[in-house]
Amino acid sequence: MRFTFDEDQLLFQTTLRDFLSNECTPEVIRKAWDEGRSHTPALWAQLAELGVPGLLVPEAHDGMGMSEIDSVLLFEEAGRAALPEPVIATAAVAAPLLVELGDEALAGEWLPRIGGGDAIVGVGHEVSPLVVDADVSHLLLLQRGDEVHAVAPDSAEIVAQPANDPSRRLFKVNFDAGDATRVAAGDAGRSLWAAALDRGALAAAAQLVGATDKLITLAAEYAEQRQQFGKPIGSFQAVKHMLANCKVKLEYARPVVHRAAHSVARSVSDRSLHVSMAKVAAADAAQFASRQALQVHGALGYTWEQDLHIWMRRAWSLEQAWGRNDFHRSRVEERVLEASARLGPGRTFRGE
Amino acid sequence: MKIMVCLKQVPHQDARLDINGDGTWIQEDNIKFEINSYDTYALEEALLIKDAGEAEVLVVSIGPDRVTQALRTALGMGADRAIHVNDPEIQGSDSLGMAKVLAAVAKEENPDLILAGLMSEDANYAAVPPMLAELVGIPHTTAAVKVERSNGTLTCDREIEGGANEVVTLEAPCLVAVQSGLNQVRYASLKGIMAAKKKPLDVKTAADLGVADQVGAGAAKVSVTQIAPPPKGDTAELVEGSPDEIAAKLVTKIKELGLL
Repeated sequence: MRFTFDEDQLLFQTTLRDFLSNECTPEVIRKAWDEGRSHTPALWAQLAELGVPGLLVPEAHDGMGMSEIDSVLLFEEAGRAALPEPVIATAAVAAPLLVELGDEALAGEWLPRIGGGDAIVGVGHEVSPLVVDADVSHLLLLQRGDEVHAVAPDSAEIVAQPANDPSRRLFKVNFDAGDATRVAAGDAGRSLWAAALDRGALAAAAQLVGATDKLITLAAEYAEQRQQFGKPIGSFQAVKHMLANCKVKLEYARPVVHRAAHSVARSVSDRSLHVSMAKVAAADAAQFASRQALQVHGALGYTWEQDLHIWMRRAWSLEQAWGRNDFHRSRVEERVLEASARLGPGRTFRGE
Repeated sequence: MKIMVCLKQVPHQDARLDINGDGTWIQEDNIKFEINSYDTYALEEALLIKDAGEAEVLVVSIGPDRVTQALRTALGMGADRAIHVNDPEIQGSDSLGMAKVLAAVAKEENPDLILAGLMSEDANYAAVPPMLAELVGIPHTTAAVKVERSNGTLTCDREIEGGANEVVTLEAPCLVAVQSGLNQVRYASLKGIMAAKKKPLDVKTAADLGVADQVGAGAAKVSVTQIAPPPKGDTAELVEGSPDEIAAKLVTKIKELGLL
């Protein structure tokens, strides 16, 4: 089994990193915040030209036809850039959910629009019920028990909720569930929502890895510039160790996230276990890096003018998204305590 | 119409540069590389011509294995073919040696137009494009800030001193070395990168091109004996006052230093 990404996947990553470093700067993010929005149509259109919204849209519907293994590095880049666009809901969750629904009419109508950048799809899952960017969504996929409902935004009541990350604006969506909106139910619906949760949590974990990397970079750069006692503070052992510990947590989390991407793409039986492990590891690393980066920056880290808070907010908000750490820790606990749990190095890839 | 675009891979603008052991170049291990930004404008200009009609865009680069990524990026942006001259014997070549390699490729391919960046961001010689044109025996211009085509004739605005432009016309085949900012460079799309896998990327050596005895450190007439970081200044002068006063003092200072 290959444990590395291939040249194409790495080139995809480099390409998106270069694009976002030029087009999704802190100035762009701050401008969107100042204007009370997160989604920027022009940026979304550029992302669509690159192929980002349609990553998981099948080629038959004019998408990229990629898998989660291909896309996990791209979601890392979205986190590294603190991309203020609804890529998790639209690209990572809604597109494969529309494919798996098996409703040809719905898929035919929405998948090409997602791939083309013409549609944003909000998703409300019972574990993550507040819908990101619902006010600019063209379609809402919402959960009621085991049922999947496809709801037109103008037929729902969309109520803004407090959010600490202005790049992830949250909305409560009230709607009348009925035959007209129901597109799946029962076992099929339950299975669809389970897969959607894993995909959302995986994409959030990948973004957390990217955000953590950026937090460490910001702190390391500041530690090189900030002088104290005539030396950069980065030369002091205490500061070095803080950043080294962040890096250790990040590099332990990264392969867990990549493992989860493989499990989701291949639909392995332990998919949910691997995703929960990834979400916890990535969120823990991001929370730790946020605190340490703030310490390195000192009082300056609290200021609005410093960019640090852009990524700290992302780390906090993504920890809450698609299952908080306590939810995912519970899932891991349930699985590893099962009598039939396949644990240990000799069983890691058995049966896949 | 066939357009040949010369690309060079240079250290990434964000790369931390350290000098190598013998002090003759930077330490290239473990740093990121990217396409020389001047060359990206040349590539974009070629792709714009391709977009406007029938044109085949061939990208050519010289260097080690890592250069493949630059060529694949160019193919992902829309180039049709790539030639990678990958030969350790070329290492240590001066600008003339590099120009001879590119000229050998150009003579095999017979392009109607060769586009290149004005200079590379690492060495800054700006020497290869004119040398290449001379070796191929075609007219050339440099520092082009505008390129227009009409029936085999190119009209280029080239940047000259004092903020003025000089307008030159060239008959194809010819070479144009472009200034940065000529156009808005596109990004490679993910779909383009996937499609690029099916595009030809040929690898050649100096021997394949018949220039093995004309390249490398042994054939170079110019060699780098030492590079060093710029010395740190310790005579910074703080200019104080109102904005108008500061501006007046700066102008006076600049004139004193003979910079205007």
